Amino acid sequence: MVNANAARHADDPVTLEIIWGKLQAAADEMGLMLARSSMSPVIYEVLDFACGVCDDKAQLVAQTNGITVFTGTFQGHVKAVIGKFGDRMRPGDIYMVNDPYSGGTHLSDVGIVKPIFVDGELLAFGIAVAHWTEIGGSVPGSLSPKATEIFHEGLRFPGLRIYREGERQDDLFDLIAANVRLPKMTLGDLNAEIAAVRIADTRIQEMCTKYGAETIRRSFSHLMSQSEKVSRAAIAALPDGVYKASDLIDGDGFTDEQVPVQVEVRIRGDTIAFDFTGTSAQRPGPLNCARGALLSAVKTVFKALVDPQAPSNEGWFRPIEIIVPDGTAFSATYPQAVGWYFEMTGQISELVWMALAPLVPERFSVGSFMSLCATFFYGKEPRSGDQFVLVEPHMGGWGASHDQDGTSVLIGTADGDTYNYSIELLEAKFPIRCNRYAMNVEAGTGKGRYRGGFGVVREYQMLTDDAHMYASLGRSIERPWGLEGGGHGSNNYVEVTSNGDSWRGARVPTTELAEGARVAIVTGSGGGYGDAHLRPPEAVRDDVLDGFITVEAARVDYGVIVSQDGTIDSDATQELRLQA
Amino acid sequence: MGRLAVDIGGTFTDLVHFDEESGNLEAEKSLSTPRDLTQGVLDTINLSGIEPDSVSFFVHGGTTVINAITERKGVRTALVTTKGFRDILEIARGNRPDMYNLRFQKPVAFVPRRRRFEVRERIDAEGCEIEPLEQEDLEAVVEQCRKQAVEAIAVQFLHSYVAPEHEAACAAFLRERLPDVAVTASHEITREWREYERGNTAVLNAYVQPIVQRYFTKLEDALRALGIECPYTAMQSNGGTTSFGWAKAHPITLIESGPAAGVNGAALIGELCDEPNVIYLDVGGTTVKCSVIEDGKPKVTTEYKLEWSRLNPGYPVRVPVADLVEIGAGGGSIAHFDAAGSLRVGPQSAGADPGPACYDLGGTEPTVTDAKLLTGVLNPKNFAGGRIALDVGRARNAMQIIADGLGTTVEDAAAAVIRVVEANMNNALKLVSIQRGHDPRDFVLVAAGGGGAMHAAPLGRELGVKEIIVPRYPGYFSAWGMLATEPRSDFAITALTRAEDITVEQIHSVFSNLEEEADAYFGAADGVGGSGLSFSRSVDMRYFGQEHTVTVAVDNAAADLDVILSEFHAAHERAYTFSLTDTPVEFVTFRLTASASVPRPRVNPMDDEHLSADRARVGRRMVGFGEDGRHEADIYDREALPAGFEAPGPLVVEEPSSTTLVHPNQRLWVDRLGFLHIGEAG
Repeated sequence: MVNANAARHADDPVTLEIIWGKLQAAADEMGLMLARSSMSPVIYEVLDFACGVCDDKAQLVAQTNGITVFTGTFQGHVKAVIGKFGDRMRPGDIYMVNDPYSGGTHLSDVGIVKPIFVDGELLAFGIAVAHWTEIGGSVPGSLSPKATEIFHEGLRFPGLRIYREGERQDDLFDLIAANVRLPKMTLGDLNAEIAAVRIADTRIQEMCTKYGAETIRRSFSHLMSQSEKVSRAAIAALPDGVYKASDLIDGDGFTDEQVPVQVEVRIRGDTIAFDFTGTSAQRPGPLNCARGALLSAVKTVFKALVDPQAPSNEGWFRPIEIIVPDGTAFSATYPQAVGWYFEMTGQISELVWMALAPLVPERFSVGSFMSLCATFFYGKEPRSGDQFVLVEPHMGGWGASHDQDGTSVLIGTADGDTYNYSIELLEAKFPIRCNRYAMNVEAGTGKGRYRGGFGVVREYQMLTDDAHMYASLGRSIERPWGLEGGGHGSNNYVEVTSNGDSWRGARVPTTELAEGARVAIVTGSGGGYGDAHLRPPEAVRDDVLDGFITVEAARVDYGVIVSQDGTIDSDATQELRLQA
Repeated sequence: MGRLAVDIGGTFTDLVHFDEESGNLEAEKSLSTPRDLTQGVLDTINLSGIEPDSVSFFVHGGTTVINAITERKGVRTALVTTKGFRDILEIARGNRPDMYNLRFQKPVAFVPRRRRFEVRERIDAEGCEIEPLEQEDLEAVVEQCRKQAVEAIAVQFLHSYVAPEHEAACAAFLRERLPDVAVTASHEITREWREYERGNTAVLNAYVQPIVQRYFTKLEDALRALGIECPYTAMQSNGGTTSFGWAKAHPITLIESGPAAGVNGAALIGELCDEPNVIYLDVGGTTVKCSVIEDGKPKVTTEYKLEWSRLNPGYPVRVPVADLVEIGAGGGSIAHFDAAGSLRVGPQSAGADPGPACYDLGGTEPTVTDAKLLTGVLNPKNFAGGRIALDVGRARNAMQIIADGLGTTVEDAAAAVIRVVEANMNNALKLVSIQRGHDPRDFVLVAAGGGGAMHAAPLGRELGVKEIIVPRYPGYFSAWGMLATEPRSDFAITALTRAEDITVEQIHSVFSNLEEEADAYFGAADGVGGSGLSFSRSVDMRYFGQEHTVTVAVDNAAADLDVILSEFHAAHERAYTFSLTDTPVEFVTFRLTASASVPRPRVNPMDDEHLSADRARVGRRMVGFGEDGRHEADIYDREALPAGFEAPGPLVVEEPSSTTLVHPNQRLWVDRLGFLHIGEAG
């Protein structure tokens, strides 16, 4: 029943705003639900997921703060379901999809989609996408650095109806349980995602009861067209032109060669095209991504450009056009492996960002550590003999900008409201001890009028004789870029000491670790902005007092003469800076 | 016998006295005295003329803790951590909630790196010692703390939530060697795991501890000297009260004490007006607080984050706190231009000393109160009951800098300052209501604090609430809410056990231990007042493999295990739409909330004999109504307004502790308890 009073005032701006607020609250509630009922640490502790609501055409209308790269792919997941089932969708149905080639990311990110019907008519979709710790494939954790085909990377769900008009399809659940290494955890995550999309249904039904389905429908289109207007105005305000950037991927795990990638951004009027033609052909291993992830990575930086804080919806992204031939590292095709796609989306975002940064300095910092620096540890818990898998992204240094220092130890662009793993929790759950979690000041940071933020050192020690690891870190050769005379940041790497051997690597294949082995994950610092000799001596002194830079670095890099206890020699500083 | 509540705000010290025999309620107010808050308390008690020996109960609340933190005016604090982990405070959780902002800045740590010290020691997740606490390193910490003139130290070692021995030993050593330095060990404040959250909580406790310690000690002495001999209690953030002694060691539990009392008061107003859904707005001198009461129940959270927003990770504080949103915007908030040349208001506040420029106490910066005076909202001759004469000339001089910056008149500059601060308040209100899925049209807005009634009319209109209610004594609201507050303490113990390994007897014995703890607490807490403890018991439970828990009420400690389990499955299904009946269940944390009951203050209907609309109408003047323009408005004296009075806006109601604005196209009516109701006309 529709509240007549509410319906009469249905189109006033306050109502529309209230509906938006309710959608936002519903999306946030979905996220809370998923985090709280999940069984996998990568979901409940690291928050590697995103939730949202799309309209009946698969257009995003509201999302949680979550993972930037997931929210950009909602449309792809929902479209895949619509494309396959069309008008065969029924109330009570729930679908599961993770196909990278039809808009997804990699097999580990499983989308759960629930069509929401009101009075028998399709109104919206609730969607949750979460990173499952285990989805089968050739290695525990499912992301083999040596995968060459999608078949090595786990189970592929091309849009499966896991609930049929409210009825759980037990056979499909059994099939999944039989093909993954941690079935309880995997099914737990699936349950949590189902709970999330169900709450979206409940909340939207409540809104329809109160305001009427038509009002809700109109509020969706109103919301998107408003955003589109602001978005187009922001593009129109930028000078027409062609803006280019090129970069190198530091090794693909099969060769150590650097792989060239590039973008040409063309702004004309209120439209913007991103042309990736000229980017390297797809690589033999899993360091590729398909088109859905490419679009998502572009959306992330585009949103940063037009209006970073406004709530996201599909309207913002309508001015975007993407041009790329099939079969590049950014547009990989079936059955090429794409497990480490998130390294590519980081690379893509950074590329687009590099092209646009000089144009809009108030929106962009300079080069960051870029990579998600994801590591996988797996093996057997010595007491129980249970298998464990620890999946983690790592935080690093971001670049400075024209009016502020870069931020230290922050998650990369591909993720978002993503947490580091609490050490106390980690040690309680895994046969691993953490010896150090500290800012990586040893490697220095991009110097400048504003300096880059610092990366981090996280050192683990194995407490079991059955442990393995693999990892893939970008920016291990190229260094984060600076601007206007600012210096480069530092590199990411992993340092392993096992059985008396010690070595460094970045694209680390599956490696056995002895009991007591130490693995240090070291992330880089961000680039600097502006001439370091223009940095106020007081700021340089503070960095010395805080142990961020040495007295020598203050002199050599910044031209500031300061003692260990923080006394600045102003005359000597002035003289030194004049000489330079 | 009477119950006395004193609430110390950044700007005013409020007093409410409830005479238990006559049912009379008295209120008094004087300027807070930030250099010596005790003075303000004594001033207010003296002004009120209450007999000290008639006071049978004293409750204290205030914003001392939160103001020191939000204005970054705490003491020079150090942090001692396990070797290898001093940067955790700055690393925080590394998340970017403002995820499309590629220039994101983290909240700045309260202890800079130069005062974060590491010592060798290590305990593992089971609580076993891996490496002993290294004495030599402690000596070095002492030396560094002396050298850097540290005033407070937080100690946070890994896994101290399970084995606090190293932390306790370190804290004891530091207390002995640095007797003038306040030391907080993280386990003394919270026994929850997660090193960053527990560490940050300890750091904030240390950051304010010396201030609070000095203050309560001095206040106790002063109260005693005055002849008030009764239990002294402090309002806590959890919506209950505790003893001064406990509060001195755990000041962070007072972080939202004033607002928590206000929330209790707002719930009571809702009850009296038969409106169970309330949005509570409290505008003080320094901050605005908003909270939602649904079905008559205030919400308490253990996941409080100071300065959190959807885009800001904020600072976690792991103590039970009334669920509210707070921003730095109030009467004392200072208007200024930011680096980019935009007009901003707050979060810095002129507080009570020097106070707004118009107080003529040395303040020269333009504040919201100055703007309200310049737009005619405040009556210079009738502020704080006429005890503070407001100086229009000083306000004008201060506001000139804003007028110059905007290239407008002083009056227009003042109007712009109000517009900016009200937009900030509006966002805070939306955050607790719309963005948490509440439709304001189902709620009333209860406006309190000295400034609430002054801003409520446009805010309530924009939010679309049913009605705005201004209770009696809005300027004393937190103090009034405190009188309705019970002594309360929360006890919890984490004892991770699988359901198949636990017996009803064990559950019973865990709760008995907690009850003993509660009895000891209430016995020892120098008589927190109230009588007859009541307990509510619950258990946090989860499915094996989950991290987060569902809390299940276990009202009968000896309940049947199967009943507890089936209630857990049902609660999980209610919360998350599914249950996993074939998955093992874990009991995680056993919780006991103990409270003692106190008589609630009554509100007597108004005595209408001497009241009339004619007597109440005391004048007319030009008043700025923001976007609704400037109007000649009737001015009413609230103390003379009779029940049943009704009038259309624009109008102003003045009373000693507050000023209520009713905008054009709104109407005012007065109910039989003397509460003001404002609704949209027609």
